[in-house]
Amino acid sequence: MNRTARRITLNEWDRRYAELCAAGLREPDYGGPLRRHVDDGDLRLLKLRMDDSAASLRLWNFLLTEEERLHRARAEGKRIVGVMKDLGTVPVMAYALPECVAFYPDGAWWIPCVMERSAGLLDVADSLGIDDSFCPVRAMLGAFVNEAHFPIPEMLTCSVGATCDDVSAIAQRIEALGFPILWWEIPHRRRPDPEEAAVELPGEFRAPQSQVALVRSELQRVGRALEALTGQRLTQRRLSAGIARANRVRRCLAEIRRLAFTASACPLPALEMLIAEMLAIHFCSDQQEAICVLEELLEEVRHRVDAGTGVLPTDAAGVFWVNPVADLRVMNLLEDAGGRVCGTDYLFCHALDPIPEDLPPMEALARTALADPMVGSSADRAGRICEDVRRFGAEAVVISHVPGASHCAMEGAVIGEIVRTRLGIPVLEIEVPPITDSMEPTLRTRLEALVETVVNRRRR
Amino acid sequence: MICAGIDAGSRAIKVVLLRVDNLQIVAAGAVDQGVEQEALALQLLERLLGENDFHRVDVRAVVATGYGRKLIRAADQAITEITCQAWGVHHRLPQARTIIDIGGQDSKLVHLGAGGTVKDFIMNDRCAAGTGRFLEVLATRLGVRLGSLGEMAGKSRQPAIISNMCVVFAETEIVGLLASGTTPEDIVAGVQASIASRVAAMAGRSAVVPIIFTGGVALVPGMDAALEAALGKPVTLAPEPQTTGALGAAILAARRLDGQKTPAV
Repeated sequence: MNRTARRITLNEWDRRYAELCAAGLREPDYGGPLRRHVDDGDLRLLKLRMDDSAASLRLWNFLLTEEERLHRARAEGKRIVGVMKDLGTVPVMAYALPECVAFYPDGAWWIPCVMERSAGLLDVADSLGIDDSFCPVRAMLGAFVNEAHFPIPEMLTCSVGATCDDVSAIAQRIEALGFPILWWEIPHRRRPDPEEAAVELPGEFRAPQSQVALVRSELQRVGRALEALTGQRLTQRRLSAGIARANRVRRCLAEIRRLAFTASACPLPALEMLIAEMLAIHFCSDQQEAICVLEELLEEVRHRVDAGTGVLPTDAAGVFWVNPVADLRVMNLLEDAGGRVCGTDYLFCHALDPIPEDLPPMEALARTALADPMVGSSADRAGRICEDVRRFGAEAVVISHVPGASHCAMEGAVIGEIVRTRLGIPVLEIEVPPITDSMEPTLRTRLEALVETVVNRRRR
Repeated sequence: MICAGIDAGSRAIKVVLLRVDNLQIVAAGAVDQGVEQEALALQLLERLLGENDFHRVDVRAVVATGYGRKLIRAADQAITEITCQAWGVHHRLPQARTIIDIGGQDSKLVHLGAGGTVKDFIMNDRCAAGTGRFLEVLATRLGVRLGSLGEMAGKSRQPAIISNMCVVFAETEIVGLLASGTTPEDIVAGVQASIASRVAAMAGRSAVVPIIFTGGVALVPGMDAALEAALGKPVTLAPEPQTTGALGAAILAARRLDGQKTPAV
């Protein structure tokens, strides 16, 4: 545990790591100083300020060693499944099977940021006709082609239907290059007609039973493919156990979020919160270790909250953040400008809700998948954002657009208008490419202006 | 006792000196922006002080704003132009509900609530088509002074339609218009309308009257009318529109002295 809590630079982390080691730090096999990742090409770390706790060190090391973990899994003969455009459903099924590892190839979208474009993934995508009019997720196309990051999975799945046009196009390009994909359909979630049989979904949504049945049958098809791949039966018992493990991750994250967003002194920086939340959808290629990482982080957060220790001034402006950022540094910028994150919708709120454990497991997974904010209307999404803004007491909303992402084209205006109308708080829309260095002054001005606006509203 | 507001904008540096006791403007001035921003700002400050029989020791607080605000190390505080514009406009025109500020490099829409507080804001700094930069490009292309564009637009009989939404392509379009015999006056009026339509698109339906027009582009004759036409709503030109940001900064400097905490950045 730390006596103090601070956001520190990589240079400061060098000293901090030595201190922690001298104090008897015990690390997992992927542990070590953060500096080594820079030596491996993760140059962006040099420009970030990171939390100084041992728990956050473990989180960072867990994130930045995922590729090694996947290659080791391959060497150990485990079956690797790439789950594209899947925000938290198929991984739960895959990890229910022994010797099966799921990962999220779309996660390669952070490689151009973390490696400051030195890996050339976007250039590869450009050369294949997937240029910067597409979402930075196109980096995964480069990763499939150059095979320099994750091992090529034995099985690839991708949801399609009510998903981003641009990601579908990227996945189609990947398939055309010789990587077969098992497509599964997710329909656009609609409100049930008056006389139509309907079911409750996590997140307080409702959907027609017929839509849930469609998703359930699609997931059963994916399940059969996983059984064929692994030679193992995806029994109800295994699925239920997998759901219970996923829920352990989700409950842990729910508690970290509650504490981090509502404590008077912010106990964990926005950057580490973002990375931690991402574990809900893919477990960073090791579900059991993800649980351990998050539980240690929760312990640190609890300790800080109990001690009244925070990483930011207690008067920081509470900001609800919509959509993940392609450049991690922007989360630092918000805090440098005097803000703190008080609530998030990183496009996978449904993956933070517990999967119902009182339903047949496949039905529960289907309902959870259909609660995905991206498969419903922007107005539905805005409704949940408004509820969460109230719950966490946020004072402003930042809608961060992902350049080229088709869902961003219109949703910002819809969400912004609904938030302004219902809550009367300021809304800022920004766009965050993988590297924001050249536009940092303008981004900083916007974020500072938002913080000033919040502070003035408090005085009024 | 006086205080100063410095607005280090992308195109010009503006300084306003203000009496702390009654918030009366002592002096205001502007110079072109350059590489040595702080030196230019301090030279302008010294000049205004000298012209009004003040000395640096009389300046009790300085707030910097604008694109280069962090470079003005002599300032006691840096505050964004959004907040400063709101204070400056509210001081001059308390009834204002919307500010449209078009500067050399960006354009902004600021919604004001009671007491001049910022309710919300929108900024465009990614596209030159809605900023003064478009006028600079036009002046260069036509080989005329920036200051003469307003007069030229006033002589237009049929403003040209500029179709391109990107300044780079619009410049090519202008070359084509000139080649086809369109008069420079009609092109200038067309560009004014194009800038105004970009800003109106940014504002959407959210611009609430009274709408106050500020920024260096507001100095260009005809731009207010172009903006009115694009918005379909009346637009009021702010008094001394180029210096409202610096005025707001000076007011916030005075509030610092007055013990009223200003927004911390």
